[in-house]
This record gives sequence, structure tokens and C-alpha cells, in this order.
Amino acid sequence: MTAVRNLYAEFVRTFGNVLFAVSLFVVWGILTLIGVVVDQGQDPSAYFAAYSAPIARAIVRLSFDNVYHSPWYVGIIGLILLSLTVCTFKRVIPARLPPLRAVKIDAMPLHAFLDVAGDPAAVRAQVAAFFRKRGWQLRERLLGGAEWTFCDKHNWARRGVLIAHLGFVIVAAGTTLYWARGFSGQVPIVTGRSVTIPQTKALIRLNRFRYTIDPIATKSGIVYQPIDYVSHVTVVGKSGIPKNEVVRVNHPIDIDGTLYYQASYGFGIRFAVTHDGKPVPALADRTYLEGETLDLPGSARSIVYQRFVPTVDRATGAPTADPRVNNPAAILTVQADGGALGTALVPMRSWIDVGGGWRVTPARYVLYSGFQYRYDPGIPLVGIGAFVLLAGLIISFYLLPARLYVRVDPAPVGARVGVAATTVKGYDLYENEFAQLVVQLRGATQ
Amino acid sequence: MPIDQALMAIAIAAYVLGALALVVYFFSREEWLRNFGAALAIAGCVAQFAQLIARFELTGVWPLLNLYGSLSLFAAMSVAIFIGFAFRYNLWFAGGFLLAIAAIALAYGTTWNEGTMPPVPSLQSYWAKIHVPIVVSSYAAFLVSFVFSGIYLLKYYAERAFATRALAAGATGGAAAATAGNAPAAAANLGFDISLGVRNDTPAIDAATAGGNPVAGWLAALPSLPALDTIVYRAVAIGLPLISIGIITGAMWAKEAWGAYWQWDPKETAALASWIIYLMYMHLHTRHGWRGLRTSWVSVIGFASIVFCYLGVNIWISGLHSYKT
Ligand code: HEM
Repeated sequence: MTAVRNLYAEFVRTFGNVLFAVSLFVVWGILTLIGVVVDQGQDPSAYFAAYSAPIARAIVRLSFDNVYHSPWYVGIIGLILLSLTVCTFKRVIPARLPPLRAVKIDAMPLHAFLDVAGDPAAVRAQVAAFFRKRGWQLRERLLGGAEWTFCDKHNWARRGVLIAHLGFVIVAAGTTLYWARGFSGQVPIVTGRSVTIPQTKALIRLNRFRYTIDPIATKSGIVYQPIDYVSHVTVVGKSGIPKNEVVRVNHPIDIDGTLYYQASYGFGIRFAVTHDGKPVPALADRTYLEGETLDLPGSARSIVYQRFVPTVDRATGAPTADPRVNNPAAILTVQADGGALGTALVPMRSWIDVGGGWRVTPARYVLYSGFQYRYDPGIPLVGIGAFVLLAGLIISFYLLPARLYVRVDPAPVGARVGVAATTVKGYDLYENEFAQLVVQLRGATQ
Repeated sequence: MPIDQALMAIAIAAYVLGALALVVYFFSREEWLRNFGAALAIAGCVAQFAQLIARFELTGVWPLLNLYGSLSLFAAMSVAIFIGFAFRYNLWFAGGFLLAIAAIALAYGTTWNEGTMPPVPSLQSYWAKIHVPIVVSSYAAFLVSFVFSGIYLLKYYAERAFATRALAAGATGGAAAATAGNAPAAAANLGFDISLGVRNDTPAIDAATAGGNPVAGWLAALPSLPALDTIVYRAVAIGLPLISIGIITGAMWAKEAWGAYWQWDPKETAALASWIIYLMYMHLHTRHGWRGLRTSWVSVIGFASIVFCYLGVNIWISGLHSYKT
């Protein structure tokens, strides 16, 4: 039993220590920075290409390639929440909301004694009136036979830290809710086609996609600046009623609580394939997106559609950076038995000989629009938490709750007023204000 | 020369001249130099805001969406926050350092001036007008805290050096060490507000000042260590809520533009790392034994993280936020 009690005491001592919390922040900060420096979510081979083998191995083994969803990251947030809870109850509340108690005035760094002529009771009333007039909240207590007056400023703001900590907990709860109940995904939709979103069963048809790009002359050459991406869609949600909508960047649409965003666009290709000079109509109907593979039936050969080139320089035949379509081509890789035989830039409507009697022509390009969708039931909590946290920060940083311990004792002549001050942020910040207060008190009582 | 470029040139010239005046003031303590430097700082700052407005009027494009405009606001806000602090706590002596950094930021910013570009679709949002100025202002507040933590550390380590020297002199029979404890507090004062602590916490510097050491004399004229620590704290107390609001508004914008309020994009993640460092600062500052020397170092590290978040991520790491993509 005592072993368990000792263990608990040890746990409370460690997790309730601000320096322990700060050490957790250090680890949190380092893990966060790892994710900035190391590209996230790449294929393991990318790390072996970018770093030396031992470092790449460490990145992959320690999940630093997806650090924000790694056990380390979730674990450190968990430890911070635990520490925050223990600390709040064991340290912050007792320290910030101390009971009214007698103190040794001359042992406090900020203190002063004033000798005042007059009856102690009258002086006490005079002192109380002085502080009340300046907005201090007064409470009187009889402690150890002496009459104490406790004066507080911004007493309510002592809870600022609690508010900040609560805000952090609410944000954490909101993000957990997304993990537990939310989902997100990406879906490309080719012009003229419909897609059903697996999680929501919503149907989206892309009627038209339009983009605007302006060439702009800058000091470092022509820059092709995207100006607008617009998708005209028809959507069918739970109600079953089709609705026409427009999706643009910064203007998502909401279908039954799930939001759909304009995320990307690209060019799909329809291929015309012939085998021994005869068209193969079965392959003509599908639109291939960048990165997709066209398998030639009954053959070990295939074509990978790598990338669309909107503009090929007519003079040199080389791809240009111009993203507007003006003499387009496709970059295609021919594969046999899974291995690459070669890659070529194939202009639209010209063909590539794949061997074995197969010829492939990129016949037509079709624009597709990439949508991102997301259902996040945690958003209201994260939003509320963020504002609570912010309010807590502002209260904690801009209000300085101070407490004065005031005692008026009979003196050989008249009365002796003792005043000591504490604040939630130590004494330095309050040194001068306290000095001024004492000067004013002296002026008011003499 | 177009009006905005003329204003930019005026601002840079005012900062360079103001920095010179205030550096000389730091050593000479000539009142008129302080007033001259302060006037130049204010003139430069006003010219900068006028420049940003003129650019917006001339081009119709929100001027903060590239590094040129954003560094310009950074310099202007740093100087503006510093002017506020300097008036409130009489800290003009530090203006030389700050104006020099502002001038460098501006001069560097002009190398990123690509001319007028319409913003890419994700930046065409009213959030650009809210989020960017807030984030840049938080960086500016952190610059001010960085400058004063630098001065804190300078004074702290100088005190240690003087104490060691006094001890060594004492060991060889000198009386310097004996006088160190009861030397008068800094005789010469640059006139800053006494509200910022008057405790004599640098006895070795004070003793050396009394002994006629000129370097110690300059150091003694700086605010006391707790006063410097308080200034750093107050600047961080401006920066931390601002960067928190910046992260929150950024998340709201991201939710609208990219579909998720948090994408672990390098920029937002680097901002989170800086936020964590300043959170450490604030927590350590609640501990008596950690306040001062250690928190000043945390503030220095925090500002390094801000520089990384601001420039490093934009220039070296491409992501959704990079101005290059
Ligand atoms: C990310 C989460 C956290 C936030 C946003 C936060 C925020 C704050 C703020 C604003 C203060 C007031 C600082 C001041 O008065 O100058 C504070 C103080 C404090 N925090 Fe946190 N904190 C967090 C995590 C933690 C954790 C994990 C612990 C647990 C060990 C902790 C323990 C404390 C303590 C003990 C104080 C000082 C209270 C006092 O001295 O009166 N905090 N925190």
C-alpha cells in the first residue's frame, strides 16, 4: 500500500512540476521541427535518396516520415495533457488562489511600515477607505488574534492560467474528435463525369472546369500566375435533389455537413490504341489521369501516362513552362514486364510504337478538377478552445493580480500600519507601483 | 521615381541615420542626439506605412503577399512597437540596434521586389488582410524582445567578467573586491523610467564604474537586470498572443482555402514550434530561479526560430506558404 502511495506521490511530484512540463515542451518542439525539416509522407526510397543510409533508416523506423501521427507525437501530447491536469490541480490552483492567511510582513520582499498618529481603529478605517477608493477589493479577517485586511486587485484574473489551460484541453478534445469520427479525402472528377464519395454517398458531377492563368513579366523572367480555378458541378446529397453549385478556391461548398474544396486540377488523356493496324475500341473509353497505367490486353506491355505538357515549343520541340494549353503533348513511359523501356514526349494525336504491333495515340485531353473533402465534427470544439486559450493568455499576460496584506497595530504613539504585497508574477514587476502606493498611503494618513 | 519607391528610400535613409544617431547617443549621452534619433525613427516608420498604403493605392494589390511587402511591414511594426516601448520606459538607447536591424530587413526586402503580381487564388481572400499583418506584428514584437534579451545577456556576462576580475585583483592584494559590495548604484543614468526596478544587482559593474572604468560606466547606465528582464517579458507578452491569434486566423483561412484548418505545412508547423518555445519562456518566467538569465536565452532561441519560420521556411523549404511557389 505504501509502495503504491509513494509511487503516486512521486508521479504527482514529477508531473506537477513546471520544469517537467517545460521538458515536455522541448520534446514537443523538437518533434514538431523534425516534421518541418524532414519531408513528410514520402516513399521510403525518397529518404534513402535524400539522406545517408543510417539516417534514412532511422527516419523510416522512428516514423519521422509521418511524425505528426507517430506514437511519439500522440504520446507527448498525452503526457502534456496529463502534466497539465496534475499541475493545474496540485500547483496552479493552490498557488494562484491562496487562502487568506497571516504572513510575516517584514519577511516579504515588498513591504513597508508607516507610523500614523491616531487611534488604531480610526487609522484602520482610514486605511481601508484609502484602498477601497483605489479599487481594491477588501476582506477583513481575525487571524491569530490580529485584525488583518486583505486587499485584492484583479482577483478574478488569477484564473487566467486555468482558462488558458482549459482552452488547450478543449483544442485537444476537438482534434481527438476528428480522429475518432471525422474523415477526409481527395477525389479527381473528369469533366462530364460523376463520382460518388465513398463516405458520404454524395454524388458530384463536374459539368465544366475553368482556370485562368496570366503571364507576368518580372525581373527574373516570365511568371505564370494562376488567377482563378472554378468548377461548375451538380451535386446530389441526402435529399436526393440535384443542385448546381460553383466551387472555387476559398469558396468551398457544403453538402450535408461535409465540405468540398477546390484543391487541384489536371489533364486526363483518352488514348486511341491499335493492334496490328486495327482499333481496340475497348480501350478508348477510359480517361487516364497523370500517373495511371494503360495495360495492353494479352501483352506484357503497358504505358504509363506520366505528365501532361500544355505547351511544347514549336521550334525546339521541348516542353515549356507555359501552363496554358497551346500545342500540348503527353509524357509517356513504355513498360514491358513491369520494367521501363523508355520515356517519350508524344504530341497530341501523334502516336508511339510500343512494339508487338501496338500503337498508342494520345487522342484527346480532358480537364479534371481535384476536390478535397473533409468532415470534421471537432471544428466547433477546436474553435472554442482556441478562443478560450487566447482569452486565458491575454488575461494572464495583461492583468497582474496583486494582494496586499495590511495590519494596523497599536504603537507607543498612535498606530503602526504594516503593508506587504505579493503578485502572481513575483515582485519585480510590482516594485515601483508598490512604492508609489506606499507614498500615497503615507500622504493620505498623515 | 514612383512615390512608393521614394518613400521606401526615405524610410531606409531615416533608419540608417537614426541608427547612427542613437548609437552615438548610447556612448555620448547627448540629449539632442536622442531626440534627433527618435524623430528619425518616427519619420522612417511613418514613411513606411505611407509607402505600404501608396503601393496598395497604386497597384490595387494587397502589398503584404510577398517577402518585399511583408519584410517592409515587419520593419515598420518593429520600429512602431519599439517607439511605444521607448516612450513608455525611456529606452531610446537601444534604438540604434533596432533601427539597424529594421534597415537591414528593409534593404534585404527590396531584393525581393518582383513588381506587381496579382495574388494566386488561395491568397485572394479577406483573411490575407487579417492574418498576415497579425503574424508579422508578432514577429516584430519578438524582435524587440530579442534586442532586450541581447542587452540583458550582455550586461549579465559583463557583470560576471567584472566580478571575476575584481576577485583576481582582490587575490593579489587589491582592495577593489572589498569596495564592490558597497559601491554606489549606477551614478550616470540614461534617464529611463525608475519604475523598471532600481535594485543594485550588478555590484561588480557598479564598483568598476566607481573606479572610473568607462566600459563599466556605459553598462551601469543601462537599466538593471530585472528591469531588462521585465521589458523582455512585456515584449513577449505582446508577441505571444499575437502569434496565437496569427495561428488561429491562419487556421481559419486554411480551412476556407485548402479544406483543413491544419495541414502540417512547414510554415504553420514552424510557427507552432516558435509558439511552443515562447510558451516555454512564459512558463519558465513564472519560476523565480529561471527568470532572467535562462529566460533571456530562451527568448534568443525563440527569435532564432522566428527567423527560421519567417525567412528560412520561405526561402529553403517549399510548401503551401512559400512565396516562391
Ligand atoms: C500548451 C499548453 C499550455 C498552455 C497554453 C499554458 C499556458 C499558461 C499560461 C498563460 C500561464 C501564465 C503565465 C504567466 O502568468 O505569466 C501558465 C502558467 C502555468 N502553467 Fe501552463 N500552459 C500549458 C501547459 C502547461 C502544462 C503542461 C503544465 C503542467 C506542468 C503547466 C503548468 C503551469 C504552471 C504551474 C503555471 C504557473 C502558475 C503560477 O505560477 O501561478 N502549463 N500556463
